[in-house]
Amino acid sequence: MANTIEIKVPDIGGHDNVPVIEVLVKVGDKVEKEQSLITLESDKATMEIPSSAAGVIKEFKLKVGDEVSEGAVIAVLEVTDGAVAATEEAPKAAPAPAPASQPAPSPAPAAAKAPSAPASQAASASGRKADIECKLVVLGSGPGGYTAAFRAADLGVDTVLVERYATLGGVCLNVGCIPSKALLHAAAVIDEADAIAAHGITFGKPKIDLDKLRSFKTKVVGQLTGGLASMAKQRKVRTVQGVGTFVSPNEMEVETAEGKKLIRFEYAIIAAGSRSVKLPAFPWGDERIVDSTGALELKDVPAKLLVVGGGIIGLEMATVYSALGSEVTVVEFMDQLIPGADADLIKPLAKRLGGKLKGIHLKTKVVEAKATKKGIEVSYEGESIPANNVFDRVLVSVGRSPNGGNIGADKAGVAVTDRGFINVDTQMRTNVPHIFAIGDLVGQPMLAHKATHEAKVAAEVVAGQKSHFDARVIPSVAYTDPEVAWVGVTEREAKEKGLKIGVGKFPWVASGRAIGIDRTEGFTKLLFDEETHRVVGGAIVGPHAGDLISEVALAIEMGSEAADIGLTIHPHPTLSESVGMAAEIYEGTITDLYMPKRK
Amino acid sequence: MADVKEARVPDIGGNADVPVIEVLIKPGDTVEKDQSLITLESDKATMEVPAPFAGVVKEVKLKVGDEVSEGALIALIEAADAAAAPSPAAAKAEEPAAKAPAPAPAPAPVPQVKEEPAPLGGRSVLPGNAPEGDVPPQARPPFDAKLVMPGDAPYATPAVRAFARELGVDIHQVKGSGTGGRIVREDITAYVKHALASGARPVSGGAGASVGGLNLLPWPKVDFAKFGEIEEKQLSRIQKISGANLARNWAMIPHVTQHEDADITELEAFRKKLGEENKDLKITPLVFQIKAVVAALKKFPQFNASLDESAEKLILKKYFHIGIAVDTPDGLVVPVIRDCDKKGLLDLATELGEISKKARDKKLGPADMSGGCFSISSLGGIGGTSFTPIVNAPEVAILGVSKAQTKPVWNGKEFAPRLILPLSLSYDHRVIDGALAARFASFLATQLGDIRRLLL
Repeated sequence: MANTIEIKVPDIGGHDNVPVIEVLVKVGDKVEKEQSLITLESDKATMEIPSSAAGVIKEFKLKVGDEVSEGAVIAVLEVTDGAVAATEEAPKAAPAPAPASQPAPSPAPAAAKAPSAPASQAASASGRKADIECKLVVLGSGPGGYTAAFRAADLGVDTVLVERYATLGGVCLNVGCIPSKALLHAAAVIDEADAIAAHGITFGKPKIDLDKLRSFKTKVVGQLTGGLASMAKQRKVRTVQGVGTFVSPNEMEVETAEGKKLIRFEYAIIAAGSRSVKLPAFPWGDERIVDSTGALELKDVPAKLLVVGGGIIGLEMATVYSALGSEVTVVEFMDQLIPGADADLIKPLAKRLGGKLKGIHLKTKVVEAKATKKGIEVSYEGESIPANNVFDRVLVSVGRSPNGGNIGADKAGVAVTDRGFINVDTQMRTNVPHIFAIGDLVGQPMLAHKATHEAKVAAEVVAGQKSHFDARVIPSVAYTDPEVAWVGVTEREAKEKGLKIGVGKFPWVASGRAIGIDRTEGFTKLLFDEETHRVVGGAIVGPHAGDLISEVALAIEMGSEAADIGLTIHPHPTLSESVGMAAEIYEGTITDLYMPKRK
Repeated sequence: MADVKEARVPDIGGNADVPVIEVLIKPGDTVEKDQSLITLESDKATMEVPAPFAGVVKEVKLKVGDEVSEGALIALIEAADAAAAPSPAAAKAEEPAAKAPAPAPAPAPVPQVKEEPAPLGGRSVLPGNAPEGDVPPQARPPFDAKLVMPGDAPYATPAVRAFARELGVDIHQVKGSGTGGRIVREDITAYVKHALASGARPVSGGAGASVGGLNLLPWPKVDFAKFGEIEEKQLSRIQKISGANLARNWAMIPHVTQHEDADITELEAFRKKLGEENKDLKITPLVFQIKAVVAALKKFPQFNASLDESAEKLILKKYFHIGIAVDTPDGLVVPVIRDCDKKGLLDLATELGEISKKARDKKLGPADMSGGCFSISSLGGIGGTSFTPIVNAPEVAILGVSKAQTKPVWNGKEFAPRLILPLSLSYDHRVIDGALAARFASFLATQLGDIRRLLL
């Protein structure tokens, strides 16, 4: 009764690669001859491409964002029987099933301008049939990626989430924040049990069942990643497992277990994260050299552990292994642990860690490491050379580098810096307007809570909302013992820039709660703008500092004055009181301390 | 050693109940003589009240929001020893002492340490705050104090900032009505309402935002070489400068052009005669047009005017300097002939000849091209029947002159051949309405039709 023909793009005035800005029909639609199928937009004009015959759309080959030239196949049409099509009556006869004149859901406004930018350098569309079509593809399922996918899905965006590993959650959930916290909890219990001996309660030496501890950690991770998988299902976010790389501005290829899959998308959010820097001085082929992932595997408790890099990750792992019984040595290239934080903040940490670790060696670096039978033999350079140079295990935690270089960004026209970062605007847009990037690969600080915040911005923008990354401060926390947390302006920055700030610093030695838990080494410090008394920064060291810093972050975002914080009733006796008291010190209203009258 | 003295509000120009908008000192601060203590804001101005003497602030008696008049007590200041305070060396010596971070052991809380005696009047504004609007993708620093320091960061909560984004409002432009200038939700809506009422767009960012927020499409990019041979040539400096001015004037000024014909049959006869009498001088029709324009400006002073920057005031000029658009190989320039009302036809002809030559020789200085009240652009020597000249801001009108042609004109009984000069008067419709422009043009035509009237 009918045969199928291909409807192609006719002569469009010699223009090549003209973007499709609207698709007006869909599979199953009945179209008449001369009815518009798609809208193209060249530099000069918008033109609708009419159907060359009447019939029913069997297959549709294009979508918004594709760039077409003369001869490109638009659709496969099952031509209507000649006699029927010719009569005037025909269209009226079948009005119901085909709301053909109604344009397909038009794309978000941004889509229209999207394809033009990358055209100069990006690869052209593969021309292959896509295995998966979607509005949004999110590359990477870490805290940034899954948040972006879930938020987008909740806003009605058809979303595909691509993850190279079998479980969702990325570094944070699988080999980062979460498992390390499970282990740090174990370390804290060991330390506290030991410390309470001084006050009359003795537990004896802990027996450590490493397998059980490891399975606790695995269970914690499993609970969270499993939760993500089921939430993805509930939201109808399709997940694809495999390494994804861009092949064109609107296509991504994923190497899955079942072979290559081509995803065609209108928007993409790159959330491919970062990886540990693997210093070439170390023999990485030897299993005794580990990065944070390896350290979290908890294969054994090495007798002698060297931690290279005294940043947050290195010190957290040093805390864990030291509590489990390792003799831990830390070397740090800079003149301070956790470089970047205020020096006074690090002092209590360095003091406590110093008592537990074999040694902390600043301004020192490892220049060579050799794998020998005895262990890893290292040689140092610097101001504080450790006595020991043979270790059973070496953790290299000297930072992370972004994965921007490994995702075929060039094929999509997305610019990547030499160091692997992708620059974005305040809406998390890359230089290619329909492709976004979030998380570690858009810049420091590489923190999960920054990534999730950025993820929501990007997802909302894809969904047509006017969101921007407008957060002023991002708190940083080291979950060491004691914890170290800071947010906003540091005294260091204020000094460098000559800012007129005043400081309210509350020592925990005056906190009843801190005395009760025998942890008075900490303090809470708030920085205020001298003119307005508005809080512009804060830093806390002591147990639970990471939990306490949130109030300071909120206060900064709200533009709170010292009195706003001081006049808010804080529960007694808590460590959180210390935040209110720091404000009172600045205001001169504190009574829990005696402040000599100012002259 | 020292006694406590009162610092009071001095004579503040007879204003009473002026609100304190800023307190720049607090107890314990060391202040120097003339250092600002508080800031007052009257209807007209913001003023800082200086310390009458140096010393240490014992007590501050005012706070932000208080309304004060002359004689109100600002603070109690313990006057510094006369010898020590006034010398700057002493102040410096004090500073390092205060700076010493006092590495106090934990139990003794460190009293809050001040880095400097006190802000020396005014807020500490850090330069180069990044706009919150859409900026091209760029590397972001992890954190910068500018994001939170009150001088730089708009005083608004995250929810209010998001609300501003939603409405496309650049929150830096919004004035806060809350305590201490906090921007609240209502300030955003009020800003939008005001922007809508005044016709400006609230939207931040975008090219051309400087020109009253015009949000224009980007300029079309075309690879012309695709269509045939091309050659690239730099615009001259004059073209670049005048181009930018013309674009602004065309975009900002609501233009209307009034067309009018002047019968210059008799004027031309007289001009020719005058030319024969003064063979060493080139007497062009332009000198008559200048005279006629001066007469029209005298009659319609609104044309000899400029809007002030706020577009709320009209400045009327009592002098008559006429700009003449001169075509030069490098582009358009508009030299100005001063005091045309005081010069005769022959003087004007002489001056016009000189200034045109100067223009073509690129000898015009800025002084030659400023101070104009009204411009004339004559294309009469070339051709055309009418055109739309662009008003030369801040002037409010310009006269375009096309080519005179002999035309049959009905004189009541028959068609007579008359020399007709087409005039095109473009004007700024914000200042001049249509009827006035029609009268001005018609008056001009009458003057040129019978130059005896110029004597009136």
